[in-house]
Amino acid sequence: MKKPVAPPKLFHRFFRWYCHPRMLNHIEGDLLEDYGVRVAKKGKWIADLRFVLDVLLLLRPEIIRPLEGYKNLNTYGMYKNYFKISFRQLAKNKTFAAINISVLTLGFSCFILLALYLHDELSFDRFHADAEKIYRIIQHEQQENGTIRSVSSVAPALGKEAREQFQEIEDMCRLSAFGRVTLGNDPQTRTHERALSADPNFFTFFNFPLIEGDPKSVLQNSDAIVISESIKEKYFGEGPALGKQIWSGYMRQGKPVYLTVGGVMKDFPKNSHLQISLLFSDATWNVQYNDYAQYVNTDWVDTEYTTYLKLKPQSDVALLTSKIKNLVKSNYPTDREFKSNFELQPLQEIHTETEQFQSAADEFNAHNIKPFYLYTFAALGIILLLTACLNYMNLATAVAIKRTREIGTRKTLGAPRFQMVTQFITDSIVLLLLSLIIAIAIVYAVLPFVNVFASKELSITTLPVEWMVGVLLIIFIVGILSAQYPAFIATRVSIVDALKREVKLGGTSLSVRKALLVAQFAISIMMVASTLVIYQQLNYLREKDLGFNHENMVVIDVNSRNLRRNFETVKTEFSKPTEVLGITASTRVPGEWKSFPIATTKSSENINGSEMIFVGIDNDFLETYQIKLLAGRTINDPVADSLKIVLTQLAVEQLGLTDPIGQTIEIPKVRYGERMEELEQPFRVEIIGVVEDFHFESLRANMMPVIFGALNTSIQVIDYYTLKIKTNDWAQTIETLKTINNKIDPNTPLEYTFLDSRFEELYVTDARRGQIFLTLSIIVVVIACLGLFALVSYSVESRMKEIGVRKVMGASVNSIVSLISKEFLILVVIAGVVGLPIAWFFMRSWLHEFAYRVPFGVSVFALASLLTLFIAFVTIGLRAARAARMNPVNSLRSE
Amino acid sequence: MKKYQLGEFEEIVMLTIAILYKEAYGVAIKNEIESRLKRNVSMGAMHTALVRLEDKGYIRSHDGEPTEERMGRPKKYFQVTALGKRAMEYSRETRNALWGAIPDISLNVKFS
Repeated sequence: MKKPVAPPKLFHRFFRWYCHPRMLNHIEGDLLEDYGVRVAKKGKWIADLRFVLDVLLLLRPEIIRPLEGYKNLNTYGMYKNYFKISFRQLAKNKTFAAINISVLTLGFSCFILLALYLHDELSFDRFHADAEKIYRIIQHEQQENGTIRSVSSVAPALGKEAREQFQEIEDMCRLSAFGRVTLGNDPQTRTHERALSADPNFFTFFNFPLIEGDPKSVLQNSDAIVISESIKEKYFGEGPALGKQIWSGYMRQGKPVYLTVGGVMKDFPKNSHLQISLLFSDATWNVQYNDYAQYVNTDWVDTEYTTYLKLKPQSDVALLTSKIKNLVKSNYPTDREFKSNFELQPLQEIHTETEQFQSAADEFNAHNIKPFYLYTFAALGIILLLTACLNYMNLATAVAIKRTREIGTRKTLGAPRFQMVTQFITDSIVLLLLSLIIAIAIVYAVLPFVNVFASKELSITTLPVEWMVGVLLIIFIVGILSAQYPAFIATRVSIVDALKREVKLGGTSLSVRKALLVAQFAISIMMVASTLVIYQQLNYLREKDLGFNHENMVVIDVNSRNLRRNFETVKTEFSKPTEVLGITASTRVPGEWKSFPIATTKSSENINGSEMIFVGIDNDFLETYQIKLLAGRTINDPVADSLKIVLTQLAVEQLGLTDPIGQTIEIPKVRYGERMEELEQPFRVEIIGVVEDFHFESLRANMMPVIFGALNTSIQVIDYYTLKIKTNDWAQTIETLKTINNKIDPNTPLEYTFLDSRFEELYVTDARRGQIFLTLSIIVVVIACLGLFALVSYSVESRMKEIGVRKVMGASVNSIVSLISKEFLILVVIAGVVGLPIAWFFMRSWLHEFAYRVPFGVSVFALASLLTLFIAFVTIGLRAARAARMNPVNSLRSE
Repeated sequence: MKKYQLGEFEEIVMLTIAILYKEAYGVAIKNEIESRLKRNVSMGAMHTALVRLEDKGYIRSHDGEPTEERMGRPKKYFQVTALGKRAMEYSRETRNALWGAIPDISLNVKFS
């Protein structure tokens, strides 16, 4: 037999590759047969050409092999069907799909936002390469009266000596705060900036990125400063600033000191407990103060230097702590009693420390948050997610039970129960995914606003993968778990019942759904009650009589000697405008951000002494602040009355005096912020007056006793003028004040604040948390109400005939509405019984943060319950009334 | 709505299948069309038409015997189904009806 002629191999194989396997054989047969005939008739070359042409022309959609395979060896088709049915279900029950999706979306987006927030709070200080090895030294110092003062800073010599002596310390860095400095080359635009100074190794110790300058040497030279980007832009505008000079308020040999920009750092990330915008090199002080080097190297008493240690791996922290204690003890001045303990606080725990340590300045623990709030926010996230899912469970069960005929048919046709459960779970997955996608889109959209509101830098993209996976996993697990219940309830029915549609909504399924509703409303009532308490407390803080007038008061911060000297002239100058009703000079003002000098005060009755705030005032202080004088007189003359004081009632009480006027008390020492100073000789003063108590500080703290002394005592100098102002045009008034200030001191700008805004600021974070709570509780209530609405709808729909019959028999709309409402309102009442005690417990622990708290009791909870009940009633009533008003013909006719 | 969907080429293929009766397989259909209608038929066009017709249910197929000239590949024989027959009749009737509706004068134009 002759050898068969073969067509072009390449095209033959190409054809075999693309052709649908089911048609391959016979089409290939046709091709080959044709080819054989052509070879015989027209020769091989023509036949080859035709073959190629045919193969190419066969390349059509109908003939090409399908991508997903043609033999259905798996059950993909079934899965496809699951999804198809799911989408049809959604399209069929549009209202419920809409309610479900919006509720789940709400829940998910809140959960994601809270997760982002929590992650941000927990990510504090983790960006440093050696974050895990860095510790801050905390000093617990026992006071004379037995209390313990915990400070986050220690003596300057401690860090240096410890670094040299203990080999487990790899590196050490000290920071100190010294208040503010006036900066600016142009006298017109000079402003004050808060500044810190740091050891030269600051930028190698921590990993704060520098834009200009070398991390190793930026803080090496004296008069070198490192500024943040925003400060750079403020003073130098665009472009590099390295090496530029800037005028400062410091004087050396009668000439102002010019500082050199040694480096520019990026603005500190918001998730850092340190928030610094201006850093001086420590070397600057060596030039500025003659005895500085000696002070830094030999002082063991002061607590002015925040000291960070970087330990070598596997160091024994406890051992090092005791070594540090011994080191300080052995170097402590012999004439002083050493009564301190030390602690090494890990860097990463600073942000969430429970105990608020006293620190040298605000910069040392910006945005600190108590773990209590973190737990609260985490709990809120979970609660929101849960209510959304409970709601979903409830609705899904109701819808699932309506699908009994479908289930019956499926069962009859032999569907195993597992398959139907899968169908229900697929329904949930489709719904979950849809909601999740919308939720993520919403999060993206609202994140910028949330960031502005919470002054954070939250972003989805910076969330690490573990968190992202965790969040999605939690959402999915909760979502799928909540899909289990309806699936099993609905598929449990027997075929006959299902087909007869005689499945009652009653039984266990209804009671479980009611329980779910109770849980939801318990959470709602809890949130409503908490929100009410928070707002009451905030109102209370705002409106509480502080004991002095804080409205329409402008406080001028004194920054220069010109304003400090001749305060009488300054006062006359400032009181010239008609808007100024009163003016007073004092060393401190209420709502203070600088620390109060705390005087240890002894009397004949109180030998151990109590700590009291010491404030120097002039003769107009009590009048301007409207503080009531109860007995005696006030300080009249700074010189004549320099050894006289006025006390508050509380101070009198603590000193144990019965007839205070004319008595002499003794002040042996004074603490300025972190520094305790023994006065050279005890300050002995005579009490000349008693005033009513007032709150000098935030209402979080207990009221402190206050001593008013004369200005320029040995304790402190004038720092503020307070002006009582009555004006209709604040801008104009402020301009006038600026002009006066410029006349007195052309070099320094006027720095002023409004007294009431200072007090507002004390509670800004609380107000913010209140708003968060308000938003979240509205969301929770909305979710619960949507759930209630849907449940009532189902109940009403399944009772349509009953309602119709009742109407025919003469029932009024009201009686039907109350019939339907009753059973649901009872649930809400039960929810109240469950939720209120939890809210009470929770709110009590929150209020403990405040020394002065609003008394809360039955009324708040009654209000919360009534509010929730009212909202629930409106929700139920709307749906019930619609059903009750329907013409009974419509519901009874269909049979 | 169209009652039966049948394209011009599809109709030709179906008619040919009917003509060939028991012998209607790929190459035979192609040759028959080519010889009767004097037009070239590509393998691709024909097989596409066959797939479509089978999907519509107008024809059905069964596998035949493998032969030597096909190098052992089986033939696939096609047969017109009852539905297919109705589709063909429908198509023919509509045409006839249209032909019948043409007035004599319409096509009897003489150009003088």
